[in-house]
Amino acid sequence: MDPITVPEGNLITPNLIETKGTPSEPRSPLPAGHSVSPDHHLTPQTMCPAFGSLRVLTRIDGVQTAMVTDTGCLYGLTFVTHFYASRKSIAAPAFGTKELVAGNVAEAALAACLEASKMPGTKLVAAISLCVAETAGLTEEMLPSQINGVDVILVRVPAYAIHSHPEAKDVAINAILKRYAPPKMEVTGDGVEKPLTYDSGNEDEEALRRKVIMLGEVFPADPISVDAVLKRLGSGLAANLPSRNLDDYKLARRVGAIAAVHPFYGGSVATLRAAGVPIISGAPVGPEATYNWIKAVGAALKLDPALTEQVAAEERDKCQSIIGQFPLEGRVLVCGYEGNELLYARLLVEAGAEVPYISTSIQKSLYTAADEAWLKARGTREIVYQKTLEQDVHALDTYKPDLVLGTTPLSAEAKARGIPAMYYTNMLSVRPMFLSAGLAGTIQLIREALERAPRYAWMREFFEGPRPAEASPSAVNTMD
Amino acid sequence: MEDIVRSSPAGGKPHAPIELIRDLESTSGYWAAVWTMCTMPDVHVICDAPIGCFNLVATAVPDYTDAIPHIHNITPSVMREQEVTMLGTAGAVRKTIEALSQLYPDKQLIVVSTAESEMISSDHSDWLSKLDPPIPFFWSRSLEGDEWEGRDRALLWLWERFGAGRAKISPADQQAGRLVNIIGPTYGCFNSPSDLHEVKRLIEGAGGRVNLVYPMEATLKDTPRLAESAVNVVMYREFGELLAQALGKPYLFAPMGIQQTTAFIRRMGELLGTQAQAEVFIEQEKRTTLAPLWDLWRGPQGDWFATTDFAVVAGRTYTEGLVRLLADELGMKLAFASSRPRQPGEMDNIQIRETLHKKQPAFVFGSLNEKIYLTEAQAKATHFVPAAFPGAVVRRALGTPFIGYSGVIYIVQEIVNRYYELVFNFLPFDNVAAAGQLKAVNNPLASANKLTWSEAARARLEQQLEGIPWISRISASRELRTKVEIHAIRQQVREVTPEIVEQALAQP
Repeated sequence: MDPITVPEGNLITPNLIETKGTPSEPRSPLPAGHSVSPDHHLTPQTMCPAFGSLRVLTRIDGVQTAMVTDTGCLYGLTFVTHFYASRKSIAAPAFGTKELVAGNVAEAALAACLEASKMPGTKLVAAISLCVAETAGLTEEMLPSQINGVDVILVRVPAYAIHSHPEAKDVAINAILKRYAPPKMEVTGDGVEKPLTYDSGNEDEEALRRKVIMLGEVFPADPISVDAVLKRLGSGLAANLPSRNLDDYKLARRVGAIAAVHPFYGGSVATLRAAGVPIISGAPVGPEATYNWIKAVGAALKLDPALTEQVAAEERDKCQSIIGQFPLEGRVLVCGYEGNELLYARLLVEAGAEVPYISTSIQKSLYTAADEAWLKARGTREIVYQKTLEQDVHALDTYKPDLVLGTTPLSAEAKARGIPAMYYTNMLSVRPMFLSAGLAGTIQLIREALERAPRYAWMREFFEGPRPAEASPSAVNTMD
Repeated sequence: MEDIVRSSPAGGKPHAPIELIRDLESTSGYWAAVWTMCTMPDVHVICDAPIGCFNLVATAVPDYTDAIPHIHNITPSVMREQEVTMLGTAGAVRKTIEALSQLYPDKQLIVVSTAESEMISSDHSDWLSKLDPPIPFFWSRSLEGDEWEGRDRALLWLWERFGAGRAKISPADQQAGRLVNIIGPTYGCFNSPSDLHEVKRLIEGAGGRVNLVYPMEATLKDTPRLAESAVNVVMYREFGELLAQALGKPYLFAPMGIQQTTAFIRRMGELLGTQAQAEVFIEQEKRTTLAPLWDLWRGPQGDWFATTDFAVVAGRTYTEGLVRLLADELGMKLAFASSRPRQPGEMDNIQIRETLHKKQPAFVFGSLNEKIYLTEAQAKATHFVPAAFPGAVVRRALGTPFIGYSGVIYIVQEIVNRYYELVFNFLPFDNVAAAGQLKAVNNPLASANKLTWSEAARARLEQQLEGIPWISRISASRELRTKVEIHAIRQQVREVTPEIVEQALAQP
């Protein structure tokens, strides 16, 4: 990945606080009998990283994937793709010892691309190179750029090198952008080379330049409400990436700004920055960030400042009025592996919840810094990147939450202790969260979950028996 | 373009043709080993794997195949770039062993290879054997074999390493105890809780007593007890027979269909010396469990079995069993069957996909893959019945068996109910949300007397109906005719021509 620099137009947090090296709160002593030491960080938490790419690619109309990998990997990734991404048939070459000994990794990849390209209506075949193929040395030069008039790209997502599935979404989007929205350079009158962002000077192009593309996989209702707000500013949403329409990717270089609403698109953002497109980071979650985000869009697109201020303030006030009506109360741990956990935590904190611990699968970067600083200034004690199950379970002991938004194993562990819990990916990551419209639904979901606490306690007691006295906590074996 | 694929590498010989796969239906030896060994609570597996291989096998997939939150007794070595390119994985495995030995001193650690660790030749057997205590290493052959072979090997390996030579029981005791093992159920076995429940019932009905259900209901420490039984039942044709052979006792496969189940009970009675009890059980079953089949057979439902076709794509046990029950015993028409692992001459998924795109049987028993192919073909009149993995389906209730007498009834009941559903869906109804539009559908039909059909147009419609399963053809013909006539009226023509039919059919 290219080195990340502070993006232009990052106007959301006035005080970008350096958080690197900030010591986390001292750990409380472990309860006696606890069987997992926090020192053992054994089990990183992420969906298979490659799935992030498959999720993005298989959902695009006219895109077929060809997976180059061993049978176990192929079975698992096909399974989760067919469950979570699209009902599309997936082509692959047989790829085992026989093929490896023969050394025909390129032929295998090519044959699968050819098979994939046969589907009527195919515009792009993405060859997905996974651990085994990467180790065997499949490279871009080995594949043609087209087969049967269909474009071919190589998407390289070995799980041993890309550590989380959100970051693999970035790999896929970046691969498409590099093919369909590569930087074009022009030399200005005074001999300076700079990125060309206009394809022509016509009216449509001008209109496009007033619009924004949102970068980040969000619930379909979010782009609609964002578009509505932007239209009031005289702007609008040109597209939301990842998109199901391949043409949307081609617009990315030509819009007025890219709003990278999730913090893990470093590669795609670097590609678009090199093409001269201004980048807005942060997302419209909760009153304060919503206000700042709308103002940032206004500034990046040079929209009417008075109108921007008015719309931003109105949207902030709407958020605040919803919170006033439905405040949250309780201690919530936000421990997903989707990469957007900091955004959700902000929303919950502004709505009144206490969020002492947040963890995610993605790495710490400049794009997480603003939200981290904001959260730590408001009571969050620990933010863990590239987290492990052991760290999350330790947080259950330390913080005694009222609600856990976690990975599957963590949620299962919380429920086993009688604590209300939800699988973050299925229940939160797929709901609207932006602006006032998204806020209302999310707060309602969390309020209802907190109210269900007696049910979780009852179910635990039914299956596990009465809870032992508080003084001597039972040995909870977190991996059992 | 075919040339690109066949072209030979620079300076080299032409390679063997590449075998292509669509929607792989069987996983690898690594998955098989984990899904076999981790069923036993006193085992803890270390998989020598990148994080993805761990997540898929331990959480992402068994969430939806076995309805469990995650497999708890497995930890990855977490192979990263440095392990793959420079260091090898021994250090990462050693660190994991040290941590787990502290955490679970009473568990048996087993290190299992994965495709990626095999790719970089990470064979740990030597240094693991020198540890105190030595840690067993299972080379899962994930770059060669499939999951069936993998489970077969893992079961045999567990017996050889943790069972053989440790058993303490005399043959006389076995016969007296009439003990029977059931070999086979692991994670990732479609519908196995129900089937297991039925196999236990059949064994007990025939006069036996269930000893070990291995590995699903056993611990690793129980392994020597496999030697206690007089007879073994192998649940699946796909795997488990290797272990049964090594145990050296008579073994039977779990039965499907009426005749095979009857033969199973009789043979079990003979092997256990409980023939009389087995015969009584069979007679009782005819009056109880199996009675619904006799009733349905004599009722109106029995008539249309012979006019209904079906296809099966599933594990070998289910494929052979369903063909035996539905085609051989009930007389349904078999469109095609393909078992897993694939036998010579059976269709692969590429061929199955093409076949299902062309013509869809009334019932397709299969995995999510077949469901996708039916979706691609927009098959509305075909019933998909889950009968294999992959696919997200909860099968933890004990009342949905395919095996044994109970399985006969469950399958027949399922088919009849789906037939009722099909009939219901083709009956006319009042659409409340679009009440006015219903009349618009009916009126053109009423006024269609004024329309004439050309012979060619009629033939074209007949041809279209050929592709629709027989049981729904009458309803479908009415539906298609209405569609064509509405189109004709909208086009303001007096005669329905083949072109009009084509245009109407092309509409969604």
